[in-house]
Amino acid sequence: MTRLPVLSIMTWAPFVSALVIMFFARRRPLLVRWTSVVGTGISLLASIWVYWAYDRAAAGFQFQEEFALVPSLGISYLMAVDGISALMALLTSIIIFAGVFASWTTKERSQEFYALLLVLVTGVYGVFVTLDIFILFLFYEIAVLPMYLLIGIWGSSGEVRPQGIFGWAMGRTGVGTKEYAAMKLTLYLLFGSAFILVGMLALYVATGSRTFSFLQLQTMTFDPQLQTWVFLAFYIGFGILAGIWPLHTWSPDGHASAPTAVSMLHAGVLMKLGAYGFMRLGMGLLPDAAVDWAWLVGTIGCINIVYGALSAMAQTDLKYVIAYSSVSHMGVVMLGLATLTPNGLNGSVFQMFAHGIMTGLFFAIVGLVYEKAHSRAIFAMGGFGTMMPGIATAFTVAGLSSLGLPATAGFVAEFLTFLGAWSSDFQWWLFPAVLGAFLTSIYVLRVAGQIFWGPKSPDPHFQHLPDARGPEWAALGILVFVLVLFGVVPSIAIAPVDTATGPLLLRLTGQ
Amino acid sequence: MNEMLMPLLPELALFALAVVVLLVGAIRSSAYGGRVPLSDGSSGPARPASGGPAGWITLLGLVATFVLTFFVDEGISILDGAFVQDGLALFSKRLFIASAVLSVLGSLTLRTGAFSRRSAEYHFALIASVLGMSVLASARELILLFVGFELMSIPLFLMTGFLKRDAVAPEAALKFFLVGTASSAVIVYGMSFVYGAAGSTMLSDIPPALRDGPPILMLGMALLLAGLGFKIAAFPFHMWAPDTYEAASTPFVAWLSVAPKAAGFVVIIRLYLAGVGTAALVWAPAIAVLAGMTMVTGNLMAIPQQNIKRLLAYSGIAHIGYMLVGLAALSSSGVAMMLFYLVAYTFGNMGAFLVVQAVAQSEQSDRIEAYRGLAQRSPLLALAMLIFLLSLGGIPFVAGFWAKLYVFWAAVERGMYGLVFLGAILTVVALYYYLLVARRMYIEAPERAEPVRVPGLLGIAITACVIGVVGMGLYPGPWVTLAQRVASTLFS
Repeated sequence: MTRLPVLSIMTWAPFVSALVIMFFARRRPLLVRWTSVVGTGISLLASIWVYWAYDRAAAGFQFQEEFALVPSLGISYLMAVDGISALMALLTSIIIFAGVFASWTTKERSQEFYALLLVLVTGVYGVFVTLDIFILFLFYEIAVLPMYLLIGIWGSSGEVRPQGIFGWAMGRTGVGTKEYAAMKLTLYLLFGSAFILVGMLALYVATGSRTFSFLQLQTMTFDPQLQTWVFLAFYIGFGILAGIWPLHTWSPDGHASAPTAVSMLHAGVLMKLGAYGFMRLGMGLLPDAAVDWAWLVGTIGCINIVYGALSAMAQTDLKYVIAYSSVSHMGVVMLGLATLTPNGLNGSVFQMFAHGIMTGLFFAIVGLVYEKAHSRAIFAMGGFGTMMPGIATAFTVAGLSSLGLPATAGFVAEFLTFLGAWSSDFQWWLFPAVLGAFLTSIYVLRVAGQIFWGPKSPDPHFQHLPDARGPEWAALGILVFVLVLFGVVPSIAIAPVDTATGPLLLRLTGQ
Repeated sequence: MNEMLMPLLPELALFALAVVVLLVGAIRSSAYGGRVPLSDGSSGPARPASGGPAGWITLLGLVATFVLTFFVDEGISILDGAFVQDGLALFSKRLFIASAVLSVLGSLTLRTGAFSRRSAEYHFALIASVLGMSVLASARELILLFVGFELMSIPLFLMTGFLKRDAVAPEAALKFFLVGTASSAVIVYGMSFVYGAAGSTMLSDIPPALRDGPPILMLGMALLLAGLGFKIAAFPFHMWAPDTYEAASTPFVAWLSVAPKAAGFVVIIRLYLAGVGTAALVWAPAIAVLAGMTMVTGNLMAIPQQNIKRLLAYSGIAHIGYMLVGLAALSSSGVAMMLFYLVAYTFGNMGAFLVVQAVAQSEQSDRIEAYRGLAQRSPLLALAMLIFLLSLGGIPFVAGFWAKLYVFWAAVERGMYGLVFLGAILTVVALYYYLLVARRMYIEAPERAEPVRVPGLLGIAITACVIGVVGMGLYPGPWVTLAQRVASTLFS
């Protein structure tokens, strides 16, 4: 195996390119973009290499890098991947690589935009590949904070309606809608991270030994009462990022207001960060509480599935439909985790990946459609299929994956999860899950039919619209290819994931 | 003789400095026939900065005194133990002097007429107050403690009302004065009980008396806590802070928001913790409640503020609450983490106020609207402000994150999960109002294009704060070690 610190290269390459952009690419927009392509390209190659070279027979954590950062407190820079994190890192790479192309046409302050985006990606990689839970928390914060500026500056206003306590606060301070969405998202996520921090400190103090290493914490057994409340703290903390009902409301507003690449990254990858953190820390470190509270996690997952799908049906703004469908699909992820069965866990991880790619593709398309037609209102548009056949095809592929059609990645994920739900202790979970899949087909086909395949809209603005161009094809092509590839040959993802979910289940249920 | 005076070296130096500054002021005014000519900003480029020789002498003298503190042998005590130069005393003295240096760097750039005409008075008051704090930090005896308190406080009242022709300054000074003297009275009242019950004014005699002490001693200690609560602006004794901050000159406020509070904390540590042992645990619930209420009040009151100085005042109150969390742990690590917090807060808060000063000089406004589009007008200044705000908000890679983490840590070790949880949630509230300022700077478009002009000295002070905040954030190790060493000497 190689001695190259490939995980660090993968994590820090975007950060380095962000620095290059900040210092050397002032007022040279093309250089900004190509630096981003190179930086994320290096990460993409590194993550493909990691995924390829991961030794499935040996399983466990591989590519380990470690050096002590603050020895007196037991904080160390500990990087390693198992099957799950290797897949998640690959997902991150694909989405950001496509995202760089999808936001090629950003005009305003593009230098800062790309720099912030790349910093954020470093945080995402860091969370997926670090095993020191303190460093994980730091990376988590890096992944959350730039979002405020990314949405606040480059987001789109005018489609978000402030409501509730935030609406009151915003009304008092006179804030416009994209700022509102950015603030709401940031505060929700930081609220979650406060829970995570407290839980983390409690575990650290409870061990009595000064270590934050996941590998060492994993071997310890914590007091049941401590397990319960730390588990719930992690569930709320990471769950907010994963969009669990009723703490999901930041997600539609945030995703709908964000610029294209940020929506892609946020819905595609950051929400997985929540599910991943919950699985890794909540279930991995606190197995007893995870079994005790599986009923709650699974039930709320079911609510997510149905609630998200129903909300998506009610939307008239294209971006909100996609945003609510994310809420619904993240329910599948959480449900899969709560089944505590091999199929359920594999399906859950596979759904993280499949939904990441699919939602990334959706948001990329919404961005392209908006850029060309300057509209997100579903019922104003119509018959775009004849003018932009490429985009229409890509949307249809994503939609079919979303509703779980065989030969797409979405099918594999949902099928495995449903199998898991049926063999779990709560068989009735299957019914809301299947209902959700049914509702998904309604809203997806309705949108696809209205915008792309239906009769042409009489509106004069929608008569001569171009199809995707140049770099935009790259974004769509990559994502469609991956979506179909993993749907046709799911074993390339399931095999490594299975090596990681097996030991986790062993710890959870003893079998 | 030498053995008697060597431990007093920093105090003697400050005293000498104060006398020199006063004399310089007298000589200068007599050279002009008893009146220094009026100079306001319009008097031409011949006098760009207005501090005059008094200001520069103060600056150099304070730096020299800062260096002198390193020549004092640690652990010496004189006057039968009434005056000690232990680790805590020296640590806090360096903090007082360093923050005073930053403040003077800021005030030297003030161009208001009063600051050049009466520069000597201003700096004399400043040095006198630093001297009071220094005495306070070393005092282990009630009378000396009180004298130190008054020496610290009275110049602060003066400096608050320094712009006496200003409409609001005298009012704020009066408010501050009334509250301050009332709190002094409460402190003295409490001290009389303590003396009556313990039969001694030495702090070292209190713990033995406390162990089986009469209730009147507890009453005295509780009154003292209330009095000290005024000084550090803890809930419910915080009302004076926002009004005072708003009216007084910004570089002074930067210092006022830091140094006197640090002094108050040192006294609290001395009175309620040092050498008391497990008897100190009596105070844990009281301090914990105080901490919780202070955090809640400060953070919630900061939200609707439209004036940046008032916002920072309330956020400062909230930070006092966080420091009290560290104190409430009543352990060596709790005190250490609180001291670390104090240093982090000093850099972050002073830095923020100095940026406020820079913007106020250019925009003539302390309102948050004045920061609109600052990132496009002066990217570096906006970045500095963002770093300070993030540090105050407790975001990783800047000092404030470690500070909050460490105080929470100390509290978790004591099992105070509820308080930590409250604090962690309130950091999110805090980030909300800090981000509102960031939004003005980064998201909104500027009204004018020309950059904010930052005077050189102010730039140096802001840079120093940025280095402090980022340095502590990236490499907190040495500071933690230092704080732990200081705190551990208290509990031996």
